[in-house]
Amino acid sequence: MSGRRNRLKIFPALTLAVFLLPILVGLLFTWAPAFGYLSAAGSNRFSLEPFATLLHHPSLPGALRSTFISGIGASLMSLGLALWIATTLYGSRLWSTIELSLAPLLSLPHAAFAIGFSFLIAPSGWLIRSVSPFPSGFTYPPDWTTNGDPWAISLTLTMLFKETPFLLLMIFSGLSRLDVRRTIWVGRSLGYHRLRIWTRLIIPQLYPMLRLPLLAVLAYSLSVVDLAYIIGPSLPPTLAVLIDRWFHDPDISSRFVGAAGALLLLLVTLACIGSALVLEYLISKIASRKILDGRRKSPFELLVGSGSFYALILLGVNVLSLTALMLWSVAHSWRFPHFLPARFSFSNWSAALSHLLEPVSVSALAAFLSCLLAIILVVGCFENEQNLARSRIDSISQRSLWIIYLPLLIPQISFLFGIQVLLIIFNLEGSWGTLIWIHLVFVLPYVFLTLANTYRSYDQRYSYVGTSLGARPVRSFFRVKLIMLTKPILFSMAVGFGVSIAQYLPTLYVGAGRFATITTETVSLASGSDRRVMAVYALSQFLLALTGFLTAIVLPAIMFRNRRAMQN
Amino acid sequence: MAYCPKRLLSIVIVILTIMLNLAPALARDWPQIIAAARGQTVYFNGWGGSEVINRYISWAAGQVNQRYGITVKHVKVADIGDVVSRILAEKSGGRTSGGSVDLMWINGENFHAMKDNGLLLPPYTQMFPNYRLVDTENKVSTLFDFTVPVDNQESPWGMAQLVFLYDSEVVNDPPSTMAELLEFCKDHKGRFSYPAPPDFYGTTFIKQALLELTGERTLLYKPVDIGKFDQVTAPLWVFLDALHPHLWRGGKAQPKSAPEMKRLLADREIFISLSFNPAEASNAIATGELPESIRTYVHEGGTIGNTHFLAIPFNSSAQEGAMVLADFLLSPEAQARKSDPSIWGDPTVLALAKLSPEQRTLFDTIPLGVATLSPEELGPVILEPHASWVTAIEKEWLRRYSK
Repeated sequence: MSGRRNRLKIFPALTLAVFLLPILVGLLFTWAPAFGYLSAAGSNRFSLEPFATLLHHPSLPGALRSTFISGIGASLMSLGLALWIATTLYGSRLWSTIELSLAPLLSLPHAAFAIGFSFLIAPSGWLIRSVSPFPSGFTYPPDWTTNGDPWAISLTLTMLFKETPFLLLMIFSGLSRLDVRRTIWVGRSLGYHRLRIWTRLIIPQLYPMLRLPLLAVLAYSLSVVDLAYIIGPSLPPTLAVLIDRWFHDPDISSRFVGAAGALLLLLVTLACIGSALVLEYLISKIASRKILDGRRKSPFELLVGSGSFYALILLGVNVLSLTALMLWSVAHSWRFPHFLPARFSFSNWSAALSHLLEPVSVSALAAFLSCLLAIILVVGCFENEQNLARSRIDSISQRSLWIIYLPLLIPQISFLFGIQVLLIIFNLEGSWGTLIWIHLVFVLPYVFLTLANTYRSYDQRYSYVGTSLGARPVRSFFRVKLIMLTKPILFSMAVGFGVSIAQYLPTLYVGAGRFATITTETVSLASGSDRRVMAVYALSQFLLALTGFLTAIVLPAIMFRNRRAMQN
Repeated sequence: MAYCPKRLLSIVIVILTIMLNLAPALARDWPQIIAAARGQTVYFNGWGGSEVINRYISWAAGQVNQRYGITVKHVKVADIGDVVSRILAEKSGGRTSGGSVDLMWINGENFHAMKDNGLLLPPYTQMFPNYRLVDTENKVSTLFDFTVPVDNQESPWGMAQLVFLYDSEVVNDPPSTMAELLEFCKDHKGRFSYPAPPDFYGTTFIKQALLELTGERTLLYKPVDIGKFDQVTAPLWVFLDALHPHLWRGGKAQPKSAPEMKRLLADREIFISLSFNPAEASNAIATGELPESIRTYVHEGGTIGNTHFLAIPFNSSAQEGAMVLADFLLSPEAQARKSDPSIWGDPTVLALAKLSPEQRTLFDTIPLGVATLSPEELGPVILEPHASWVTAIEKEWLRRYSK
């Protein structure tokens, strides 16, 4: 037993080594130009000028405004929406529909959704087309400001619709650890209204499991580049887009301002995370006083019906955006005000098919290997954690495991440039090993997040039965525990698979142009004008991620077809 | 950064040293280069936003593989600036050979920056057999890229000239000056825009407006004189202040790129768009991307024109292969194919007069395309102003319109 425990001890250490060092060094190397150090541009003197330039940049105030509106707005609204849907719909048929649709919802890549959603709401888009020319009277699109609005509302909505499914997934996984059904019975029998049961009994238990996902959403929304580019404001764009632009501006001295901007974005993100934690503390202070006030009724009872309305909008927007992409991928020409393409053609697909093979295989291989490594590390960490808990040992490395969430809480743009320089110095860029490692950095936290609740609530007594029947712990682990956890393990791997496929900046920065993935190809085509080709690539990206989820659903069904208790 | 002659001197010395070191390696004749290129893998980095262009490059890759045994990998990027960044990082990391980029599609400010920072291979295009066919006499921009001397450090690939695209179904009489464009916008509120600088096309539109409106055109071809900046650019800001309220979405949002403009034109949100490729409209009509009613026009007195190039970074690991590919892309065969509007429609950099009769027939048989202007209609090409003006104008533009 002790030998196994010792062996398990390397997992948290190994996991931390994968993350901590490279990210810290990456941050430092990215910051260097912000303080005047960029040897390639012949600059080796300490200077605060980059910050002065940044702070005096005319676009900075507007960019910060858009960043705050979209980042904070999208995270708070998606948390609210996800909780409201759970509160009002838990146990209903719509709730099961949502659970079933999570896999395709999560498979739809952010950029693909943004392209589809933008087409939906544009003045020349699908919604306006559906009422044009009759009854709206528009023979030409109206000059309205919908997508890409200067107030970043369309960007906020895009992220709201894209992040809510992720938070719903976390809610599903969190609820699996709570005894919701019985909590509701008890609440009901005491005469509490549904809203009260959730706000007083369930959400206080659920929230700790949503904290990290929420902070990840917050950090992501504040620093997202591709979505902000597709549907964000233009005069000026968000801070993340400005930084991205500085990092590839023809004028090399822009790298200094870019680096200062990257540091500012990191500070903004940390400040927002800090404020979110303070806000959480204040709310829990206020709420804990109210929790025992004994009120059964809630003034918001009348609004409960709106839950299904919001859920249907969430599903509808996603379905319509996806359908629009599908139609574009088989359109020859599709002009305003036609509701459907005037001419269909499969040539977009047939022309792309031969070019898709390589990027799809590269993406699939990188995604498979990185989530395989991730699951080994994650399961190892959990096993070590349970061993330690049993023997009541406090371990520093185990307690430091929150560090694996760093990549989710730190804007990618604030450390990737530094990692690139680092890899070049050690001659490591552009290799398979490096590519899989950088994907692992982002895949692992998501695998950790999605598996944690189910894995930790596994009933250890099954394994004890295994050992008491004479199996060694290792055998009992592989033959009992791992088999029983196959379903959640495969599902978290599918989430990781999807995360790996979606990686753009990390692939770009460490790949040295050696790896054309489905995402790098899609993004480069998205810088062009042809929606039809973009749609073909975006859908291929979607289908690849969906394959991962389908495998995670179908494989256990086949494996356990003869075991009824494992069916659900 | 302060201008420091001492540092400049040291950079010059470094460049000279590199040149002298590489000189023996480069002083080989062409057959030797072709022999060395065999078996090499060339990573060609370029903007990959157009399937039409991607297909053309993939054709060229097949050809050089067949003929010279070179493998070409097309690295498609959303912005070539990312690649400049990577080469810069490689230089920072001390990677003077074995670099990840062998050939890149580039011009203007990016070329200027790479040349300034010693990120390019020393002069080599003079060795290309096909380089002598380039129309350096009439197409001055093949020698001066945004006024910066090319010095054989990049190989001309194609010609560009600013043209406007319009929807002839709604616009009968397209504008022919900036003043007329303003009138058009007043009559058709919200039906024109230009990409927000620092987007390349947005900056070009502003430069075109400045060149048309200012009385001090000659000053624009010298390095920017800050003392005269206000005087030279005053008419431009008067024009833009008048124009902006009548732009698409009241000027409160602007497209982020020329491709976005093209989509807006196809969607009929705008009636006038712009392009750097005179044959783009014809090509996009052929592929179904733009409606058949789209036509092209230019302004009286000419529009800005330039050349786009292929350049080899200083640390390329397949220099010979990159040279052979760049030379192949200059060949009459490849250039003729490229200028066919049903393939790509990118105008040639070659001088037809320098070609043999057989080579010329390759070009003679190419149809002009339904929406392409003839060379006479395209009118004179105005050269790009000095690159230093761009920075100053962009800064002022951001201050005024991107708050």
